[in-house]
Amino acid sequence: MRQILYLVQKEFRQIFRDKAMLRIIFIVPLIQILVLGNAITTDVKNIKIVIQDQDKTPYSRELILQFVHCKYFKTIGFEDNYTNLSDCLASGKANLAIVIPKHFQRHIVLNKKPDVQILVDGVDGNYAGVALGYATDILQKYQERLISSTPYLGFYAKNIHRVEKAPMFWYNPNLESKPYIVPGLIAILLLIITMFLTSMGIVREKEIGTLEQLMVTPIRSYQLVLGKVIPFSILGIVVINIAMGFIYLIFGIAVKGSLLFMVFESLIFIISTLGLGIFISTISETQQQALFMAWFTMICFILLSGFFFPIANMPYVIQKITLLNPLRYFIIILREIYLKGTSIKDLIPETLSLVAFGACLFIAAIIRFRKKIG
Amino acid sequence: MENDIAVKVSKLSRHFGSFVAVDEISFEVKKGEIFGFLGANGAGKTTAIKMLCGLLKPTSGEAYVAGFNIKTESSNIKKHTGYMSQKFSLYEDLKVKENIEFYGGIYGLSRKEILNKTKLLLSELHLENMQNSLTKTLPMGWKQRLALSTALLHDPPVIFLDEPTGGVDPVSRRNFWRIIYKIANLGKTIFVTTHYMDEAEYCKRLSIMHKGKIIEIGTPADLKSKYNKSSIQDVFVELADRD
Ligand SMILES: Nc1ncnc2c1ncn2[C@@H]1O[C@H](COP(=O)(O)OP(=O)(O)OP(=O)(O)O)[C@@H](O)[C@H]1O
Ligand SMILES: [Mg+2]
Repeated sequence: MRQILYLVQKEFRQIFRDKAMLRIIFIVPLIQILVLGNAITTDVKNIKIVIQDQDKTPYSRELILQFVHCKYFKTIGFEDNYTNLSDCLASGKANLAIVIPKHFQRHIVLNKKPDVQILVDGVDGNYAGVALGYATDILQKYQERLISSTPYLGFYAKNIHRVEKAPMFWYNPNLESKPYIVPGLIAILLLIITMFLTSMGIVREKEIGTLEQLMVTPIRSYQLVLGKVIPFSILGIVVINIAMGFIYLIFGIAVKGSLLFMVFESLIFIISTLGLGIFISTISETQQQALFMAWFTMICFILLSGFFFPIANMPYVIQKITLLNPLRYFIIILREIYLKGTSIKDLIPETLSLVAFGACLFIAAIIRFRKKIG
Repeated sequence: MENDIAVKVSKLSRHFGSFVAVDEISFEVKKGEIFGFLGANGAGKTTAIKMLCGLLKPTSGEAYVAGFNIKTESSNIKKHTGYMSQKFSLYEDLKVKENIEFYGGIYGLSRKEILNKTKLLLSELHLENMQNSLTKTLPMGWKQRLALSTALLHDPPVIFLDEPTGGVDPVSRRNFWRIIYKIANLGKTIFVTTHYMDEAEYCKRLSIMHKGKIIEIGTPADLKSKYNKSSIQDVFVELADRD
């Protein structure tokens, strides 16, 4: 036990003496939060539209006004030529084009079916879907107004029972992406600090020969591992708390749930990442190799975690593969605690999954570490 | 096993794949002896030492160090041997006294013992003024003295020194050998490898290694008279030329 304390003390001395390292540990998270928190946005705003009005009547103009005044759209121009219109979409000048055909007004007045064409740039499917949703919303509202203000429609027709939807999104009422992204950022921060620093720290001692010097002492390999892992766990927990402070100050997003519970879940999560870090150290001879392996692991974890892309949108097989990713469960847990204040009894399956992964990864890593180094 | 034998090696081998780094070496080292291991680069000196202090598993053969079997009693081996590796391997980013404190703690000394040892070692090695300097700022000769002292913290009866004076100026080397003699006078067994032929003369007994095998063993005086040479250097050159 005392040996472990000496190892921990040594590790902290080294960390606090290495100014470059300190900078990496404390400033990089801040930059990461600022940049990624602002850059990764799935909010659909400022949809650029181009309009072709072939009708040029009071009715068509009124419809156009609805688009012009909608905060989600930004009208970049009017285009009379259909080829130019499609060029606008092709070049990316516009994301969406609206074509109001000739006789639009006439069809309305004559009680025929008026048509409006909407063209959407569908490269980013998610974006296109949301943009189209806003556009149909405007059209629907316009239609409702038409019906209620048409003089010769009967009373019944005007008050026909229409189901009106008034959706309310709980926990993140404006469907902003920041509250959704931020917990993921914290998870990744913790992943980086624990997995990267552990693997590189061990390999560094291998490179400079201090590990060999330690191996001739009576120290046990589990003590060695704990001596490495404890300081980086403490560091990880401290850094995410600082990060949460930043997030509150910068974005005004605070943790809804219990901070203590969050730290508890973080500790469970890092058993997996520390295990991976140790494992990586056993298959790397140099710090570059360790860095590459850790990087590769991290990218796989992030892509398969639902951090950027919703898991529900992934192919079936990939969805199943994500079940093997501890980060996936941890991001779910963090989002729940952060945004909803969920308590432990609603997060038992995810927590148990983390415990299971952590135990397997950590034990496997220690066994391999003992074989390779002990 | 006889009581005055500190290291007993019989037919010890180590292979790396098909390459034989150490080839059935056998020898004995008496307690309190300064035993030298001479050999060209790649002769297998480091590999042999690493097996003896429990860092490498032998491919075949037997060895006892301080009375313990290196294959089955590695934790006892670790408690009873000191090892100073060929490459300086203390923490360069720790202070001198922090390194001593750390290794003292790792060897399980109490706080008080650590404090006493630190004081003693710093004065013996004339490092008092440097105790608060970062280890990386020390000159090479001092670093090696520090490395030696940390290898001695737990008072081991057998000490392995792998090229302890590599890359050090002649004056520092001389000082270093004074310390080695002092330690040997305390009854400790010193097992030392070297490239320097003048240092070989300081050893009580020598073994000359070549391509994994021990090709000659004896006191410097015996070896010189056997080959009718005036220095170990000449003996070594003669043996190397035969190949
Ligand atoms: N882990 C290893 N894997 C493969 N070959 C190795 C390994 N360690 C050592 N060798 C080889 O074994 C041989 C003996 O190496 P060793 O380090 O024991 O020599 P040495 O006598 O200490 O040399 P030097 O004077 O350069 O320190 C060398 O040819 C070396 O390449
Ligand atoms: Mg060597």
